[in-house]
Amino acid sequence: MTAPPPAFTLEAFTNLGFWSGVLVIAGIYAVVALGLQLNVGYTGIVNFGQAGFMAVGGYSMAILVLEAGFSFWLALPAAILITMAFGVLIGLPSLRLRADYFAIVTLAMAEVVRLVAQNARGLTGGNKGLYCEYEGASQTCFDDSWRSVSDSILGFVENFWSDPEVLLPLLLVVWATVAIGIVFLEYVQRTPWGRVLRAVREDEDAARALGKNTFLCKLQSLAISAVLGALAGFFLALFLATIHPDDYEPIVTFFAFGVLILGGLASYRGVAIGAIVVWTLLEGTRFVELPISEEKAAALRFAIVGLVLILLMAFRPQGLFGKREEMVLGD
Amino acid sequence: MTDPVRGERLLDVDGVVKSFGGIRAVDGASLRVGRGSITALIGPNGAGKTTLFNVLTGFQRGDRGSVRFAGEEVLGRPAYAIARRGMVRTFQITKALAAMPVIDNMMLAAPEQPGERFRNLFLRPRAVRAREREVREEAVRLLEVFDLGELAADYAGTLSGGQRKLLELARALMARPTLLMLDEPMAGINPSLGRRLLDHMQTLRAEQGMTFLFVEHDMEVVMNHSDTVVVMAEGRVISVGEPQQVREDPAVVDAYLGGAAA
Repeated sequence: MTAPPPAFTLEAFTNLGFWSGVLVIAGIYAVVALGLQLNVGYTGIVNFGQAGFMAVGGYSMAILVLEAGFSFWLALPAAILITMAFGVLIGLPSLRLRADYFAIVTLAMAEVVRLVAQNARGLTGGNKGLYCEYEGASQTCFDDSWRSVSDSILGFVENFWSDPEVLLPLLLVVWATVAIGIVFLEYVQRTPWGRVLRAVREDEDAARALGKNTFLCKLQSLAISAVLGALAGFFLALFLATIHPDDYEPIVTFFAFGVLILGGLASYRGVAIGAIVVWTLLEGTRFVELPISEEKAAALRFAIVGLVLILLMAFRPQGLFGKREEMVLGD
Repeated sequence: MTDPVRGERLLDVDGVVKSFGGIRAVDGASLRVGRGSITALIGPNGAGKTTLFNVLTGFQRGDRGSVRFAGEEVLGRPAYAIARRGMVRTFQITKALAAMPVIDNMMLAAPEQPGERFRNLFLRPRAVRAREREVREEAVRLLEVFDLGELAADYAGTLSGGQRKLLELARALMARPTLLMLDEPMAGINPSLGRRLLDHMQTLRAEQGMTFLFVEHDMEVVMNHSDTVVVMAEGRVISVGEPQQVREDPAVVDAYLGGAAA
């Protein structure tokens, strides 16, 4: 039997369902990576724990709704505050460490969060996660309120578009968040506060010698990043309609780093474009038909993204939108 | 040992100890710096000069002793708080913030910018912008003084070694220090630039009454440009006095100067 030649069906790329899925997940990763950009690209603190913040945000929101009886709209700000406080709690002891040790602490933190979620069955559902059985009509879900909002948006859109994509409302909210995030972060970056952050990235001791409270700035940077992580956690939970420990594995953080590297260090807009490129590649390569097993094909998709990142590092180390000077200049 | 400091004491260091494991890098060092003076800190390699600098400026925590700056105890206070009180240091190896423009290096150092507090960005945006305008003017003026005006928009990482030294001094001045502590300001720069740095020091003292404490190995600079010389060896201050006195102190000749300066 001769293997069929690799085929590439373009059909998927004309499919709105494909693009809305890709754009929602890309938007979620853009939100995650905006936080990383603030930490890594502008403050010089290597945060490997963004998936942990996503988990804390997502789980807190769902648990507040399901167990504490909060309304969804109250649970959102409450979960943001919880995640922010959690970020400060993690940062207080660990931000005094050197960059590489801090990175390890954040990675461990994210894993602790995930393992707690996996084992605190009473609260988190353990390995079953938090999800809805839609067959049982009367059951409350953490995303009930969102669904009704989403349905009314869809109902409104139907006035112009007979058969809208069901993901459209989420897509709009996610990308509005990305846009607001970029405007906000670009603004604070241009202020004296943002200048101190960059000085910390360049040389923390020099900033301290000039009277800058660098520790506080690093803590604030981490807290803002935690908030962005929480938002991404909400969106992921709404997208998947479930919250499961496996969705917050360290790989999530590292995909966001891929987005960051592709988009370019020290560019917030680059992060948004980077997210779209990474997820178009990851999802688009699903449709390349190769004469290999499905598992191998799945692994190959990641290899392709890896290859793109390696080529980028070789030929354009500053990423798509990063400033070359901010990458290569050093003492 | 007579106290050579006349007038008001700006810095009063008493019995400072700093150990690393079993090694006492600074072993009960005491010294005084008079307001408006230029004091040189000399001594052989490993005498504890840089460690003492680090303890005085809060970069390392002293084990014991007292450091009074302008009448206030600062030992154990964080580095940024000490710098805000007016005790500003430079480093042996220049720390240009390479991937930031020269003008941002300068503006960073300015004190009393409310916009460095996150909440003020939203609560007091007008005060932040007003202060930012003042700071920019001041930065541009100082860059002109140091012949760096045309490089304001360039990244600090593109500057030459000598220009970085000038930038670091100008940047330290932006922080409005009352005591400027320079760790080997002349190291690795050519003689004419060195002379310019020394001229700047003299001018700043004459015009603004600024006080200097600097670590230096070039004995010619030390002898000709300081009022007081403090000599350290093995973590202790072994001699204090006017340059001529110190040069003739047998203990100093023995520990540091050797035959060369005799």
